[in-house]
Amino acid sequence: MSERGTAGAAWTRAARSVRTLSIPVVAVGAVLAVVPLWLDHSGVLMGVAVLGLAFACYAIGFNVIFGSTGQLFLCVGALAGIGGYGGAILADTVGLPVVVSILLATLVSCVTGGLLSLIAVRRSLGVIFTGIITLIFTLTFDALLLGLGSLTGGENGFLIESGADSFIRRRIPPYYVMLVLALVFLVVHGLLRRSHVGWAWRALRDDELAAELAGVDVARYRIYGALVGAAMLGLAGATYAFTEGRISPTTFGFAQVDVVVIVMLAFGGIGTLFGPILGAVTFTIVDEVLIEFGQLRLVVYGALVLLLFLFLARGVIPTARDVVTKRRVSQASAAPD
Amino acid sequence: MIANVLDGIVFGIQLGLWAAGLTLVYGLGGVLNLAHGQIAVISAVALAFGMDAGLPVLPAAGLALLVGGVVGLFLDLTILRPVYRLQGEARVLLSLLLTLGVAFIVDGFLNWRYPGRSLSLFIGGGAIEILGVPMRRGSLLASAITLVAFAALFSFFRFTALGRAVRSVIEDEEGARLVGIDPARMLRLILVLSGVLAALVAVTRSMVVSVDVQAGFGITVLALIVTVVGGLGSVSGALLAGIILGIVNVIAADVIGTFMSLVILLLAAAVTILMRPSGLLGVEE
Repeated sequence: MSERGTAGAAWTRAARSVRTLSIPVVAVGAVLAVVPLWLDHSGVLMGVAVLGLAFACYAIGFNVIFGSTGQLFLCVGALAGIGGYGGAILADTVGLPVVVSILLATLVSCVTGGLLSLIAVRRSLGVIFTGIITLIFTLTFDALLLGLGSLTGGENGFLIESGADSFIRRRIPPYYVMLVLALVFLVVHGLLRRSHVGWAWRALRDDELAAELAGVDVARYRIYGALVGAAMLGLAGATYAFTEGRISPTTFGFAQVDVVVIVMLAFGGIGTLFGPILGAVTFTIVDEVLIEFGQLRLVVYGALVLLLFLFLARGVIPTARDVVTKRRVSQASAAPD
Repeated sequence: MIANVLDGIVFGIQLGLWAAGLTLVYGLGGVLNLAHGQIAVISAVALAFGMDAGLPVLPAAGLALLVGGVVGLFLDLTILRPVYRLQGEARVLLSLLLTLGVAFIVDGFLNWRYPGRSLSLFIGGGAIEILGVPMRRGSLLASAITLVAFAALFSFFRFTALGRAVRSVIEDEEGARLVGIDPARMLRLILVLSGVLAALVAVTRSMVVSVDVQAGFGITVLALIVTVVGGLGSVSGALLAGIILGIVNVIAADVIGTFMSLVILLLAAAVTILMRPSGLLGVEE
C-alpha cells in the first residue's frame, strides 16, 4: 500500500473512532449536564455532585491503569493527592499561576505513576505484589502528609488561597469543569483503546505470555497505561482541590478514595469504557440515600458491596452485554425455523 | 540501643502474629482476607464483654479465641464459597472485595453499637529487668504468649499428620489431592485457625495498648505488609519479617522521629519486596 493510502486509511479509521465514540460520550455528557438544573438550590448537593464527578475521573484513571493494563494501583488517592497538594503548594507557597500549578502537579503525578509502573514491570510483580507496593506508597504518602505539617497543614488540611475569588469557587462552574474533565478522559481512553495501544493492552490483558511472544512490548504498554492513568488522577485531584479550596489527608485518603473507586469500577465493570461513569454516578447517589441510615450507613454500604460482588461479580456493563448477546444468539438460532 | 532492639523484638513478635493468620490463608487458599483485623476486633469485644459479665481473664480469653475461630468458620462457610469456585487472580480479587465488604459491615456495626469501646487488659506489677533494660510485664507476657503460639504452630506443621497435610496442600494442591487429602477441608481448618490467631492478636495486643473498635484496618494493613515481606504462606517468614520490621521501626522512631519511623518501615518493606519478590522465606513460584 502507498504511503498516502495508509495515512488515508488511518485518518478514516480515526474519524470513524471519533464518530462511534462521540454518540455515547455526548449522551452521557448531556444527561449529566442537566443535573445542576435541579440541584442548584443547594450548595451541599452541588458539592456532592462535584465530588461524584471527581470520583468518576478517578475511576476512569484507575480503569486505564487496572482495567486496561492489569496493574492494581492501590495509590489512586495518593496520585490524586500529589496533584491536589502539589497544585496547592505550587500556587500558594511558591506563587505560580493556578493553571501552571495544576499542570506541573499533573506532570509530577504522571511521572510518579510511570516510575511505580516501571518498578513493577522491571521486577515483574504480579497483581497482588503491585498492589502491595503501591499500597506501601500510599501509606508513605499519608505519613508524609501528616509529618510535613509545615508544608501541607498536616491533619488540619491546606486552605488554598489562590483562585479563591475566581469562578472556580462559585456553586455551579466547578461542576461543569469536572464534567468536561470526565468527558475528555472518556474520549482519551476510548481513542487509546481503538488505537494500536489499545490493541496491545487487550493482548496483554488476555494472555501476557502470548502477547510477549507475538511481539508486543508488554512492559512499554503497561508503562504507557500507568502514565496516562496517573496523569488523569493528578489532573483530576488538582482541579478538584482548587474547586474545593480546602484539602486534607482524608480528601485523598486510602479508605476515602481508593476503596470507593475500586467498588465503583467493579460495579460498572472493570475494563469497560463507561463502567467508571456508571459506578461513580450510582454510588454517589447510593451514598446520599444512605445518609438516612445515619451511623448504620457503613453497615448498609458493606452489605451492598457484598451483595454486589456475590451476584454481579463482573460488573453491570459486562453482565448486561452478556444478556443482550445471549438473547441475540437465541433469536438468530430461532429465526431459520 | 539494647533497649531499642528489645522493644523492636517485642513489637516485631506482635507483627509476626498479626501476619501469621493472613499468610496461612493466602498461602493455602489464595484468599486475601481483608477482614482479618476485624476478626481481631470482634474477639476483643467478646473478651471485653466476657470480663464485664464477671468471667476471670483466662476463660474470657478462651471465649475470645472461640469467637475468632467461629468467625473464621463462618467466613469459610458463607461468603468464601463463591470465591473457592474461581482460580488465580480472579479468586484473590473477589476474596479481597468480599472480605472488604465484611470489614465495612463489622466496622460500621461496632462503631454504631459500641462507639469508643476499647479493650485493655491490665497486667499489674512493676517492670522486669532484662539485660539491664526495664520492660513492662504486659509486653513481656504478650511476647511470651505469642512465642508459645508460634511454637505450637511450628510443631503442628512439623509433627502432626494434619499439619503436614496442610503443608502439602500449600506446596502442591494437585499432588495433595492425589494422595487423598481434601484441600477444601484443610482450607476450612486454616480459616478457623487464622480466626483463632486473629483473636490471639486482640488478647496480646490489649496487654500492651488498648484495642478500640476501629483498630481493624490498621491491623490488616500492617499484617498484609509483613505477610508479603515474609513470603506468602510462610509462618516462619512472617515471624522473621515481623521482628526485622519491628526493630527497624523502633530504631527509626528513636533516631529520626516517630512519624518518619513509619515511612522507614514502609520503605524497608518495599525494598525487601523488590529485592526478593517471593519474600524472605517464601518459595519461588
